[in-house]
Amino acid sequence: MAVMANPRLIGVLERYGAEDVTKCYHCGNCSATCPFSQEPFLFPRKSMRYLQMGLEERLKGNLEPWLCYYCGECTEQCPRGAEPGETMMSMRRWLIGQYDWTGLARLFSRSAFAEIAFVLVIALLTGAGFLAWGFTRGASLVDYQGFIPAADMHVFDLFLGLLFVGLVVTNALRMWWLTMRGERAPSAGPWLYLKHLLLLPTHFLTQRRYGECSEKTPWVLHMIMALSYLTMLALVALFLHRLQDETWQWPVHVAGYLASIGLLTGTAYALSGRLRRRRTALKHSHRTDWVFLLMLVYIVVTGIVQHVLHRLGLGGAANIAYLLHMMGVVPWMIRFPFSKWAHMAYRPLAFYFSHIQADAMRERSAAGAAVAAQPTV
Amino acid sequence: MEGQRIGVYVCNCGTNIAKVVDCEEVVNSVRGMPGVVAARCYKYMCSNPGQEMITQDIRDLGLDRVVVAACSPRMHEPTFRKALAAGGINPYFLEMANIREQCSWVHEDGRAATDKAIALTRAAVRRVALHEPLEKRYVEMNKATLVLGGGIAGLTAALELAMADQLVFLVEREGRLGGNLARVDLTAPYLDSARDLLTDRVTRVLRHPGITVLLEAELTELLGYVGNFVARVRGADGAVRELPVGSVIVCTGYQPFDAGRVAAFGHGRLPNVISSFELERRLKEGKVLTDKGRPPQYAAIIHCVGSRSEAWHPYCSRVCCMTALKYGHEIRATHPDCFIYDLYIDMHAFGKGMEDFYRRSAEMKTIFILGGKNTVPEIRAAEPRHGCEMLIKAHDLLCGEEVEIPADLVVLMVGMEARKDAGVVAHLVNISQDRDGWFIESHPKLDPVATTTDGVFIAGTCQSPKDIPDTVAQARAAAARILARISRGQLEVDAVYAEVNEDFCSGCRMCNELCPYVAIEYDETKKRSHVISALCKACGTCVAACPSSAIKGRHFTDEQIYAQIEGVL
Repeated sequence: MAVMANPRLIGVLERYGAEDVTKCYHCGNCSATCPFSQEPFLFPRKSMRYLQMGLEERLKGNLEPWLCYYCGECTEQCPRGAEPGETMMSMRRWLIGQYDWTGLARLFSRSAFAEIAFVLVIALLTGAGFLAWGFTRGASLVDYQGFIPAADMHVFDLFLGLLFVGLVVTNALRMWWLTMRGERAPSAGPWLYLKHLLLLPTHFLTQRRYGECSEKTPWVLHMIMALSYLTMLALVALFLHRLQDETWQWPVHVAGYLASIGLLTGTAYALSGRLRRRRTALKHSHRTDWVFLLMLVYIVVTGIVQHVLHRLGLGGAANIAYLLHMMGVVPWMIRFPFSKWAHMAYRPLAFYFSHIQADAMRERSAAGAAVAAQPTV
Repeated sequence: MEGQRIGVYVCNCGTNIAKVVDCEEVVNSVRGMPGVVAARCYKYMCSNPGQEMITQDIRDLGLDRVVVAACSPRMHEPTFRKALAAGGINPYFLEMANIREQCSWVHEDGRAATDKAIALTRAAVRRVALHEPLEKRYVEMNKATLVLGGGIAGLTAALELAMADQLVFLVEREGRLGGNLARVDLTAPYLDSARDLLTDRVTRVLRHPGITVLLEAELTELLGYVGNFVARVRGADGAVRELPVGSVIVCTGYQPFDAGRVAAFGHGRLPNVISSFELERRLKEGKVLTDKGRPPQYAAIIHCVGSRSEAWHPYCSRVCCMTALKYGHEIRATHPDCFIYDLYIDMHAFGKGMEDFYRRSAEMKTIFILGGKNTVPEIRAAEPRHGCEMLIKAHDLLCGEEVEIPADLVVLMVGMEARKDAGVVAHLVNISQDRDGWFIESHPKLDPVATTTDGVFIAGTCQSPKDIPDTVAQARAAAARILARISRGQLEVDAVYAEVNEDFCSGCRMCNELCPYVAIEYDETKKRSHVISALCKACGTCVAACPSSAIKGRHFTDEQIYAQIEGVL
């Protein structure tokens, strides 16, 4: 069955950051130089082709953009300046929009106004709700534990976490539907899903594949940042009352400090890299890249400030810092599943799915060979 | 043969000959042959010391015949003839034995190769003894030139000759000058107007007093030979004029391939499938619209229509790729939002500025679709739900998918083919055609404008598909070749040609028909055949065919050949 070509797709992807894909004339240098390109996933050339031709259905079912860690080798080797690395990046942004069923991801990627307005509105609502919660209960703003009790916050955090998980899981299910149940995907039995299941936590926690790039520093910092982020998430979601306890809770506090240092180091490295355009991969920054890094810095800094103020016994100031902190955290958490950061889920999933597909393809071709080898009577 | 003094020189050709053939043995084998007074071996006979050795021996030993056993005479016969002339003897007293191409390069067995070299060298000694002194002759040259065809090639050649104050007759079959180029809007890759290129030349040609332009005229007969042709040209009024000319340049051009011949494209069936020349017309009119008068949203350009295909023409037409890119730019200029598809099988961007043009086309988002050779995209009318006029089903090799492309306008890049009456022209001026009908040049690399008929030159797309710069270069080259001859005033005729002994000729005219160069004419009054020495290429066909043995090939007489054969045996 012939696939319909849609010449407008390139224009759509341009709004996600693809700039030079039409310059590509398919010499294949990019796929040859890519350290991760191997059978049966040879990229990025073929993905570039799907985009040039506007084969939307093929692109939606394509796992390859997630297998790329944007080391930039391909872009450096490209004789035509077609920026294959950045094209893969823009495809990831576009795919996040395709997996997302709410349509918010597409909106935020394309419209700066929508993104900033969304963040501001959620921030203001959070601030208002925070104050209303305290004052309606007649609590004093200078009373750190009394204004917003840790127990209440814990319930709110759990609610936020549930919303977050719900969005990520439903989007991931859509990703599975598009990539594993598409017209071109090989059919894979439950055994294959089970066989590779361990890949999910491994890649989620270590981003091991990123470590296979020739340059190790970006991977190390990326892992520090990811682990710090997860640690902080776990601390806030599970041990909030201990974090906010008047006494020293050494295990949670030390973990919290380390995570804060990790997050600050990681974001500083990422920001300076993007500012100085340190690597090929950091030469093109989409607006959403900046918004996220800046928001993260804001959250970490306000978090630290409120903690310090609290320790210094300045309850009122600590509460205001806490308020500002939460005005960053809530929009961030809600924005998260629609953002580039959703790659936290999609990358390990794509890696998992790609292994299943590779096995399924091998089975299929072995079956095909067996049929072909049957003697014809 | 009494008193002849023959010198024999055996060349080692570095190790080319010496590593297989024992050159000393060859030298020894000819010592003592009748007339041989000197026999020597040398590393490189063609080098200056080698040539001087011959010249010196002629002076010192009084040699009057020379044999050089070395490479093919095609390579160095002129070199050694010059050495003989320098020594003061007639250059035709030379004979070469080819002991390189015919011995050392083709045999591994040194013994057998040496024996063969000895036989060939001894044969040359026997032959050279019978050589006769021959002299070159000169014929007068008419300085006027006949140019056939008034396209860019003919116009350029005519102007080039006229600018050097020579007379030109420019014969054009149509009622206007400009040829196929007059139907083109802009040119690739710099998007200059074709009209600008042509108008200037056409006005200059029409204004130049040295150029006689004959429109709606056709060559009916070409008589005579190099330097002295008579062209019979039928003019618009039907009257036949006789034009005396010295040279002819054939610039009859090409005809576009008829797109209707490829059924799958639906040319003639689908109203929005048009050929490249139809698009040129619309571009010149400034209206590129669909049959419903709407601007196209999607335009597809299909390359290699009739070219590079086993079913039609196997060759590449050379200009279509860049013309196709040009259409992308031109359509975009009128309809900036139109999506352009280029369906190609190989992008030939070989010339100056062309790769850059290709890159720029990609940058302006032309979508290139690579199809396989001999695969033909299918075009069908679309349904209203598709939102376009047609759908093109094509296989894209670059993603391995069968794709359907929307199109409102399909442009077929028709290739060039030899004009259907190219055979008639070839026969009139006595030149040959290749299997595709293109006129054949004298040498594909080193002599690209001359033909096998002396005085008849070819330029432009009648020789093979080519673009404007190549056509112009060829036209100017042909003019330069003619001007070089005119500047010498006379034409040198090789001393080697066939002669009819009129006493023996029976007037059977068998040779008249056989001569591949039409060099033999029949004298009705004397009832005898006569060889026009200026046209004769000394192929020997008539000599062998003459039932009365009345024809002698100079430098290839029966006696010389027999002596050579005896020498070999």
